[in-house]
Amino acid sequence: MSETHGFNTNKIFIILFILTALEVGWAFIPFPTWAHWGGLLVFAYMKGHLIFSFFMHMKFEGWIVKGLMVPTIPLMMIVVFANMPDTSRNDLLVYPLTTQLDPLAGQEDSGEIVELNQTERAELSREIKGAHGGGSGGGHH
Amino acid sequence: MSSSIQAYDPEVDAPAHHHPIYDYDSGPPVDRGKFAIWLFLATEVMFFTGLIGSYLVIRMGSPAWPHPKELLAVDITAANTFLLITSSWMMVRALDAIQKGDKGGLVKWLGFTILGGSVFVGVQVYEYTVLIHEGYLPNRDLFWSTFYAMTGFHGIHVCVGVIWLFCVWIGAVRGSYTPQNYVRVELAGLYWHFVDLVWVLLFTIVYLM
Repeated sequence: MSETHGFNTNKIFIILFILTALEVGWAFIPFPTWAHWGGLLVFAYMKGHLIFSFFMHMKFEGWIVKGLMVPTIPLMMIVVFANMPDTSRNDLLVYPLTTQLDPLAGQEDSGEIVELNQTERAELSREIKGAHGGGSGGGHH
Repeated sequence: MSSSIQAYDPEVDAPAHHHPIYDYDSGPPVDRGKFAIWLFLATEVMFFTGLIGSYLVIRMGSPAWPHPKELLAVDITAANTFLLITSSWMMVRALDAIQKGDKGGLVKWLGFTILGGSVFVGVQVYEYTVLIHEGYLPNRDLFWSTFYAMTGFHGIHVCVGVIWLFCVWIGAVRGSYTPQNYVRVELAGLYWHFVDLVWVLLFTIVYLM
């Protein structure tokens, strides 16, 4: 059996195997969203913790190596939570996430798909060229 | 009055390699390679945090989001997850083998680790092929663009890991590593475990949640 730093790697491997099986099973049980997500995150945390602490030997490293990883924790939180206002106050944003903007008017598009005939399409094409200052030719017609 | 100052004699005053020899190490009290790989892994943590954080913001801000389990082959990916965890465990066995002086064991376990990583990439390529064939391209909607971005970047990391491990394996076949000199095996192993760790999180967040 494989013994490193006084822990049994085979045992860790089997626990990881069982946790993955339980996690997949949990994903298919119709829980409420909070229990579904919460349970999955707990499983992911436990697995990540085992890999990080034992397979990567972090549990047995000195303060220098541990210290290298400590700043990543607040930085991770900043990265995620700095973006959170976009999510939590999405209803208050001028253009909430996934808003489609009309490139011509610069305003919110209804998202409605309109079928155009050939004449309308030519007209729209002229309109777009006009809006962009006469197209790629720099205004020469 | 005789002077005690003697003429500089390079043969006596400077060693042949012309470098001063100190009786202390000016570096941190940890192997330099290990220090560097952990610093690198810290930046990698930030890289994947950026991807996962953006995914969560986009997902929670979207008025509707598909159930990943209905669109993705969770069963195949779960098997692939088992495979990557197994390869991570085999990497531990490889390091354990060389620490005990078992050079044959190192070659064997490292070979199995590389095989596991290669099959993982193969299954991911197969998954992409099927999805693209069904019309699920990255530009289809936010779900698919975030899916391909996260799993794609992880896949690139796995490929890099396989190439790195293969280079280490060649050294192992040549007998370059000993119980006193195995830091290269350890560094490649740390990277490989990190790739496994990221996948554990991605599998949960992208496929199951």
